[in-house]
Amino acid sequence: MLDLEAVDLRIDGRDILRDITVRSDARRLAVLGRNGSGKTTLARVMAGLTPPSGGSIQIAGVDVTRDRRGALAAVGILFQNPDHQIIFPTVEEELAFGLTQMGMPETEVRARVQDTLAQFGKQAWSGAAIHQLSQGQRQLVCLMAILAMAPKVIILDEPFAGLDIPTSLHLHRVLDQAEAALVHITHDPRIIADYDHALWIEGGMVKMQGPAAQVGSAFEAAMIELGGRDDLTDLSR
Amino acid sequence: MTTERSVAQIALFTALIAALGLIPQLTLAFGVPITAQSLGIMLCGTVLGAWRGFLAATLFVGLVALGLPLLAGGRGGLGVFASPTAGFALGFPFAAFVTGAVAERLRGFAIGWSAGIAALIGGVVVLYIFGITGLAIVLDRSISEAALLVTAFLPGDAIKAVLAGLITAALYRARPDAVASRS
Amino acid sequence: MISLTSPVDTRAHSLPAGGKLLALCLASVALFAVRDVWVHLMAALSVLALYALPGRIFFVHGVRRLWPLWPFVAVILAWHVATGATQDGLLICLRMLSAVGLANLVTMTTSLSEMMAVLRRLLRPFGWLGVNLRAIELAAAMVIRFTPVLALKGSALTMAWRARSRRRAGWRVIVPFMVLALDDADHVAEALRARGGFDMDRTT
Repeated sequence: MLDLEAVDLRIDGRDILRDITVRSDARRLAVLGRNGSGKTTLARVMAGLTPPSGGSIQIAGVDVTRDRRGALAAVGILFQNPDHQIIFPTVEEELAFGLTQMGMPETEVRARVQDTLAQFGKQAWSGAAIHQLSQGQRQLVCLMAILAMAPKVIILDEPFAGLDIPTSLHLHRVLDQAEAALVHITHDPRIIADYDHALWIEGGMVKMQGPAAQVGSAFEAAMIELGGRDDLTDLSR
Repeated sequence: MTTERSVAQIALFTALIAALGLIPQLTLAFGVPITAQSLGIMLCGTVLGAWRGFLAATLFVGLVALGLPLLAGGRGGLGVFASPTAGFALGFPFAAFVTGAVAERLRGFAIGWSAGIAALIGGVVVLYIFGITGLAIVLDRSISEAALLVTAFLPGDAIKAVLAGLITAALYRARPDAVASRS
Repeated sequence: MISLTSPVDTRAHSLPAGGKLLALCLASVALFAVRDVWVHLMAALSVLALYALPGRIFFVHGVRRLWPLWPFVAVILAWHVATGATQDGLLICLRMLSAVGLANLVTMTTSLSEMMAVLRRLLRPFGWLGVNLRAIELAAAMVIRFTPVLALKGSALTMAWRARSRRRAGWRVIVPFMVLALDDADHVAEALRARGGFDMDRTT
């Protein structure tokens, strides 16, 4: 499903990612790392938004960097801030956009939008103005927009940071029911406890990868150890 | 620059011009409360450059015409283009274009100066040519009589041009690659 | 974003937008061609009658939107009374009020989507010349989406300023405001690319 081969990324002469190789068919994959470790950049590379300087990426058999049309059906990405993702003023338009982009005829787009809204019991939202929705509701709109496109893999870039516990649990449940494989980028090992596979990124390189429970506890131990030191020079960049 | 980035920057700057008119007045120099909207037009030119600045200002004027209340004080709609101040609204895209074009040609100067001078030529001189012509037509006055009507606003707009220079220079320090007239 | 379309449903709402705009153009040209003060008085009264037809709320709303014109009316009337050409002054003021009134009337009775549809028709020839019409539509949608977002962020910035200053927020607050807008633009461009962006147009 996910196939990264020796991925490098240099920006302005600085190594952001170095030699990242991941091959995984896990349905739930976690990418752990501190702020500034390069995990968010990795998410963008995986989604085909940032072309790597070296190496290759295949998601569900699609070269997502070059084949943008194929990428739409292969991978979707949920950003941390819904305001960075929602382009249109109404819920309906936002959901319809990605589908139109996939080349779907208009009548089908409209039907799929209504189906998706109905699936979440949010038919009332179709004409709603985005700016009147709460942050959690806007995040749900982003999620619906991606689920409507039915990609094989969904990348989550800490989309639940800043949401209250019930909202975040609700969105988690929605994702658990999704057929797509999930790649969850996070700094919090607790929320990926039941994942299959995990990747620990440090300084743009893979520090450890393996079963999620194992990587998660090693990461957590290391983070607590770091945080315990009385040394502000190590505050994340 | 990708098409997506160009379109997004044009759209966000259009929204910025509108937002500058919506925020409860910013107090500028000397405690003169002014709406910062025409400042937004100048900044479109100095930051986005001539063409993209022109497009952002055109989008702004177009959406006002379609009926969105984007002008300072929530004004908008077709009435704007029949009112005495129509020339100012119609002049926005050209003001932004000239501001951008002049800024691009003054690369020899320090950025604050080039942006300030460009804003004065585009955002004040060009804008006033359009504005005064509009006033003259709607109010049936001669050009010089119409010009007399707006002289009171000149000092405020000259201050805005200076501020456009200062702001562009400060933005250049924060985000050097964001200022089109210098890249 | 709230458009200026009146929530009071009038019969004019169901007239075709293109027809209303054409009528507005013709009426405006006529208003500027006629130089008889009595004709202008009749025209202004007719516009007033049009505003009164849908009822009181619509009338009050419409008249309030003409209010920003009062300084011009005051200056023109004062000028012409002083120079002894009162009738000319009256004509100019009536003409201005009728023209703006009619234009506002079209805006108040036409929804944003109808206006967009007319614009789309008008722009279609430019599409044949290679202008990217989809980019224009997308940009317009983004402006409507992001104006309230930016206005909110702007007020948050001025508030953050006031929290640490005795004086009101000055021009300096515009710099971080622009940085915010530019950053937002980058994020939106990325979201746009995540869903295909404009590459899709090129391949089809």
